[in-house]
Amino acid sequence: MKKGSIFGLVVIAIAIAVIISVYANTSTYGSFGDAEKTSSELHIVGHLNKAKELYFDATKDANYFSFYAKDNNGEECKVILKGPKPEDFERSEQLVLTGKMVGSEFHASSILMKCPSKYTQDKLETKEVKAKSASI
Amino acid sequence: MDIQFKGEHLLPGQIGQFFIVLSFGAALLSFISYYFATTDDAGKENSLWQKLGRAGFLVNLASIIGIGVCLFTLIYKHYFEYHYAWAYTSRSLPIYYILSAFWNGQEGGFLLWLFWQAVLGTFLIFRSKSWERPVMTVVAMSQVVLAAMILGVEIFGQRIGSSPFLLLRESMPAPIFSNPNYMEFIKDGQGMVPSLQNYWMIIHPPTLFLGFASMIVPFAYAVAGLWQKKYKEWVAPAIPYALFACMILGTGVVMGSFWAYESLNFGGFWAWDPVENASIFPWIVLVAGLHVMIVFKNTGHSYFTATFLVLLSNVLTWYSSFLNRSGILGDTSVHSFTDLGMFWQLVISIFIFLAISVWLLVSRWKELPITKKDEDTYSREFWMFVGAVFMGLSCFHLLVVTSVPVWNAIFHTKMAPPSDIKTHYNVIQSSFVFVIVLVTGFSQFLKYKKTDVSKFFVITGSYLLIAAALTALIAYTTGVYKLNFVFVLAMWGSVYSVLVNGKVLADAFKGKFKLAGSAVAHIGFSLLMIGALISAGTSKVISINNTGEAYNAEFAKEENPRENVTVYRNQPTKLGDYTVTYIGDSISSPNHWFKINYKKIDASGKVTEEFTLKPKVQVSKGTMSASPDTRHYLFSDIYTHITLTNAITPTEAGTESAEAAHDADNDDKNYDAPVSHEVKTGDTIRYRDGYIVLTGLNKEAKVENIPLSDSDVAIGAHLEIVSNGNKYSATPVYMIRNGNVYDFARKVDDAGLKLRFSKVIPEHKTVEIVVYQQPESKKKFVVMKAIQFPFINFFWAGTIIMVIGFFMSILRRKSELKTV
Repeated sequence: MKKGSIFGLVVIAIAIAVIISVYANTSTYGSFGDAEKTSSELHIVGHLNKAKELYFDATKDANYFSFYAKDNNGEECKVILKGPKPEDFERSEQLVLTGKMVGSEFHASSILMKCPSKYTQDKLETKEVKAKSASI
Repeated sequence: MDIQFKGEHLLPGQIGQFFIVLSFGAALLSFISYYFATTDDAGKENSLWQKLGRAGFLVNLASIIGIGVCLFTLIYKHYFEYHYAWAYTSRSLPIYYILSAFWNGQEGGFLLWLFWQAVLGTFLIFRSKSWERPVMTVVAMSQVVLAAMILGVEIFGQRIGSSPFLLLRESMPAPIFSNPNYMEFIKDGQGMVPSLQNYWMIIHPPTLFLGFASMIVPFAYAVAGLWQKKYKEWVAPAIPYALFACMILGTGVVMGSFWAYESLNFGGFWAWDPVENASIFPWIVLVAGLHVMIVFKNTGHSYFTATFLVLLSNVLTWYSSFLNRSGILGDTSVHSFTDLGMFWQLVISIFIFLAISVWLLVSRWKELPITKKDEDTYSREFWMFVGAVFMGLSCFHLLVVTSVPVWNAIFHTKMAPPSDIKTHYNVIQSSFVFVIVLVTGFSQFLKYKKTDVSKFFVITGSYLLIAAALTALIAYTTGVYKLNFVFVLAMWGSVYSVLVNGKVLADAFKGKFKLAGSAVAHIGFSLLMIGALISAGTSKVISINNTGEAYNAEFAKEENPRENVTVYRNQPTKLGDYTVTYIGDSISSPNHWFKINYKKIDASGKVTEEFTLKPKVQVSKGTMSASPDTRHYLFSDIYTHITLTNAITPTEAGTESAEAAHDADNDDKNYDAPVSHEVKTGDTIRYRDGYIVLTGLNKEAKVENIPLSDSDVAIGAHLEIVSNGNKYSATPVYMIRNGNVYDFARKVDDAGLKLRFSKVIPEHKTVEIVVYQQPESKKKFVVMKAIQFPFINFFWAGTIIMVIGFFMSILRRKSELKTV
């Protein structure tokens, strides 16, 4: 066999290895219900339940933040983040939680928030325009 | 609509929109003309098509400048009837940020790209000589595709592109826009997002877009080579442009990394965010392609790989643009743009470049100069090729993982990225880096074409041993050895590459100056890797919170890095080797700086080192965004970032629900229950944070604006307060006026105290002092995170050295072109 072909085979082997390792490493998007069934980490897309309490008290523990989130199936769960409350958390429209269930609580290792107005100013800010016109 | 709106300035927008259409039309004309100049007028000296193509392209450049002038006019003049001006600027925005607001929106990004591509194209018209016609056909075509992105015109009910001259009332439906006088209510724009108000915003996007724009030039040469069947000739003139593109794009990406490190709260210089990854796809592939181009130029081997990689790099530029702008990364990235409704337009653009590449390769396949002969195992070219292929594999891995949302969209799957994504990337990418830097090292000992084998092994082996010894030393002193083994391997390879290329550089000064550029670039890259490995691998969070109470037993059992610490104002807290104190604030809207004092105290209590960092929080419209501040040392940085604070007042934050209780009755609620002390001069009162000494009584105290008659008495109590090692003084006053008793309390905000002089007790010759102290939760505090980044300067220095290396190579390859 020629050297070029051997090298080609090695490259293909590595490419396949990469795909397999990525595939094995990927986690899944799921619900709080799915999280209860597994012990591995997964991603949950949901939103903050703004009606319930957000607990964070920096004077007691700056690394404990808890809140209630609803996943896309409407299931609610208490979520704990081992860190301070992210900036503008209340304004988030969507949350992507990464973590796992511990008992009846979901322990998030990271939270990605989507605040619609942070980078592109759209709907939320439109309301402000209206409010201004009303007040004059 | 028949409403006559008042107060609008429609002219600049209409001129701008005209220029947009003109630029699109001129680019299209230029593309078609150059196409016929290449095909129909082939071989003709004096081609009318070529003249038309040139004219079209220059008109295109002029109209892009026209668009820029119009856009700048409406931003600068605060014409908030335009969505772009309204969304990204405000009247209070300083002039240099007004300039950068230009590329704040996606349309501005495309405009910048268009501009640079037009400049590069104009340069090519004058410099590319015989290559002008085919190369400019490709550049003009790319210009057409780009101009379509900002066209903002509806064709058959389908909007093409998004124009920066869109009016506010066209951009969103709102009842206010049925009022002809609506402009009277829009006094100000939304302003720039505070985290973008940074000098890097001025310089990073133009550099990055120049990098993206310059990817078209090597692509155009590769296409021209295939199209005109000049399979071998295109490589030499394309090399300097490829070097240029790599140099600029690399600089742009690292600038972004520096921006993130210096002033965004990512907690590092690289977060493996999909947007960051996407920006380096084209870079990696073009650097790989560049090496294979040199292989092909020297040996005639690897033609296909060189062409393939160069073509791929530009397709990936568009792919990365698609990832960032289509909104597809919504669930995985913190800073991707939202969809402007151009999802399919972006997809089509990728396919245009992909289709050209594939079609040319397939249709010319039989004629391609693909060599059947094997390359010599001990030739430099063979290993350059291997290194390039591994760069390709590294990019392949990045691409596969970053594109997870794309796979989900195509295959309707529900995969999520790996949950510990940073470790995943770090481990796999470090393995590739190990192979790549190793090759950049030992291939230097190989000769082009043929080498003395035994001599080669002796030299390579001895350098590897020296590198291993050095790596062991570095790994031990920095703590890298505690990490995953691949990081140590990558480190070894990088050290080896620095050594070998250092030797090549030394030889270069003795005469073989040709190789200096590549040696410098390799040294730069390896230093960059060493810096990244040490600083990312051994960065240490020094703000570990040991005092925080555990919430429940289960929570405490887990090993959780409590990386944030609460620091009260004027209350020193121990963080690692440092004693950290939050000593004050300075406010200049929208910025609120926190003065955080760091002291290193040795065993004898002497302060050996002291500095104050000023991380800031920017406040706008009730939202806050924090920027870190960093203390730079030669070999390590101390990074401090405010994660939360209660020191920003509601009025400062712009919320109108300011319930701040200013009246005296409510004021006591801010304090714990008062404690009274009966004391005489010289007595000490102890309280939670320290003690208070009554140093004396002043019988002739005065209170502002209150005149006293002879029968009145006013006594001041001189109090000295020592709180957490800081001294303060206060003089509360006791007063009898017209037979009534008053007392004037004094506050010591920094110590969180309020002191009253409430009674004189003549029979004991004592006085009563009432101490109010603020509960912990009412005291001002910041929650902060402090990270130590060792050797991060290697990362920045490596980048600069690499850029210098690229630049030297450009000069060398350019001079080669002239001599041939």
